[in-house]
Amino acid sequence: MSGHGQGGGLMVITLVLGFFLTLMPLPGVLEPMRPFWLALIVIYWNLEAGSLRHLGQVFLIGLLLDITTGTLLGQHALSLVIMMFLLERFRARLRFFPPWQQAAAIFALLVNDRVIQLWIFGLTGNDWPHWTWWLAPAVAVLVWPWMFLLFDRLRRRQRLQRS
Amino acid sequence: MARLMFYVLLAMVLMTLDFRGRYVENFHALAGLAVEPFLLAVEAPFALAARLQENFSDRNVLLAERDELEQLLRESRARLLLMQELGRENAELRELLEASRVVDAEYQTAELRSIDLNPYSHRVVINRGSSHGVLTGQPVIDAAGVVGQVDRVLLYSATVILLSDPDHAMPVSVERTRVRTIAYGSGRTDELGLTDLPMNVDLEVGDVLMTSGLGGRFPAGLPVAEVTAIERPTGEAFAHARARPFASLDGARHLLILSLGSPDEHRAAEGDGVEPVEAGTETEARPEATENPADENPSDDDAASQGLSNANPVDPSRNEIDEARPQPTGSGEVI
Repeated sequence: MSGHGQGGGLMVITLVLGFFLTLMPLPGVLEPMRPFWLALIVIYWNLEAGSLRHLGQVFLIGLLLDITTGTLLGQHALSLVIMMFLLERFRARLRFFPPWQQAAAIFALLVNDRVIQLWIFGLTGNDWPHWTWWLAPAVAVLVWPWMFLLFDRLRRRQRLQRS
Repeated sequence: MARLMFYVLLAMVLMTLDFRGRYVENFHALAGLAVEPFLLAVEAPFALAARLQENFSDRNVLLAERDELEQLLRESRARLLLMQELGRENAELRELLEASRVVDAEYQTAELRSIDLNPYSHRVVINRGSSHGVLTGQPVIDAAGVVGQVDRVLLYSATVILLSDPDHAMPVSVERTRVRTIAYGSGRTDELGLTDLPMNVDLEVGDVLMTSGLGGRFPAGLPVAEVTAIERPTGEAFAHARARPFASLDGARHLLILSLGSPDEHRAAEGDGVEPVEAGTETEARPEATENPADENPSDDDAASQGLSNANPVDPSRNEIDEARPQPTGSGEVI
């Protein structure tokens, strides 16, 4: 599934980790602030490793996420596909942004994603979410540098082991 | 761009089909089964942590807790004795009236799995599944009131759709006046909406809503919610009310799954979907509600029976939820 990019086994492991973090029980107050882990992981592999560059791949990941979290079938698929499209559009530029600018771009992507999710929640008859729901992109951006460093290190180690 | 459009459209079609229910139900069920081992794996460390914590909790605290529970058990037993007497009396009276017998509700306990689904999916995962005989549509309650009903059944777990799901509708009756109506989920875990009440309905803040037993899915008489606000907007056809569910929809960990006998027996007893069990209560409720103009309207009866057959308990999955909606609007046009 990794296509022509790098990653392979490590990528699958991080994706599984993403699902784990998404389903992990959190205390009720923190619950709405849970970052969109899988989006972060997908963004990482797309930007840094050049894998996961097909809309179809993220569509499938999104569907899987919908099945596991009990949301409407296609909801996360839609949000991830749109995110991936924007990412691909600006990929050349994003890759060479300084880190803080990259983080800002990711923040914008995640906020956009929240808007899409809100739209779907609204269509299915839900109420306006608690305001902390909007903190999730901010939490995600705070997590992003650490995740970035961790994944980079893991990837380097894997490459060294191979050679 | 074309590929984006393709996937966006595909996602939207899927969402619509899923929202309407039925169409992608089979796919969902299969995919759920495939995903279940993963859910169990995610839960495992947290279940283990909870058990370890239990093991290391203080002995004195445990003893105190045990004493408290024992006390509670004794009191509950005593109260149950009185209830049993009442139950027997009730059965005798029903026999005298030649009313049909109430189905004996059996139950099994269930616990929430330590998995957080999306809070806007209005679903929780319990640790009972088809291997424990759980079936789609079984009512789920906690110590305080109705929580929801079983939605998807996996092998060792099942998802329960909460009353608060905007797609969920359940027939209720007001305890004090026996007025029947439908409580819709509002999308918030602390609120239900009653949106199709007649303007002159006899309803007060603090009134208790119970399951009416119509539709045959929930047994009659379970506490559901307490009315917290009533609005009678001028110029509109219906009054609105809001109610707060008794059960803590986002907090209850221990649940009971009720089963009203096997659904096949149910169907055989019912004939073509008309619920004989509740027919008695139905007619009893009628005379009291005569000041209600909607009740004098003969077409309301059609609408009600329509709702009944739609909400046939044997219907798989969410048909009840989806189709219960048109009923009140139908009678609304008549008024």
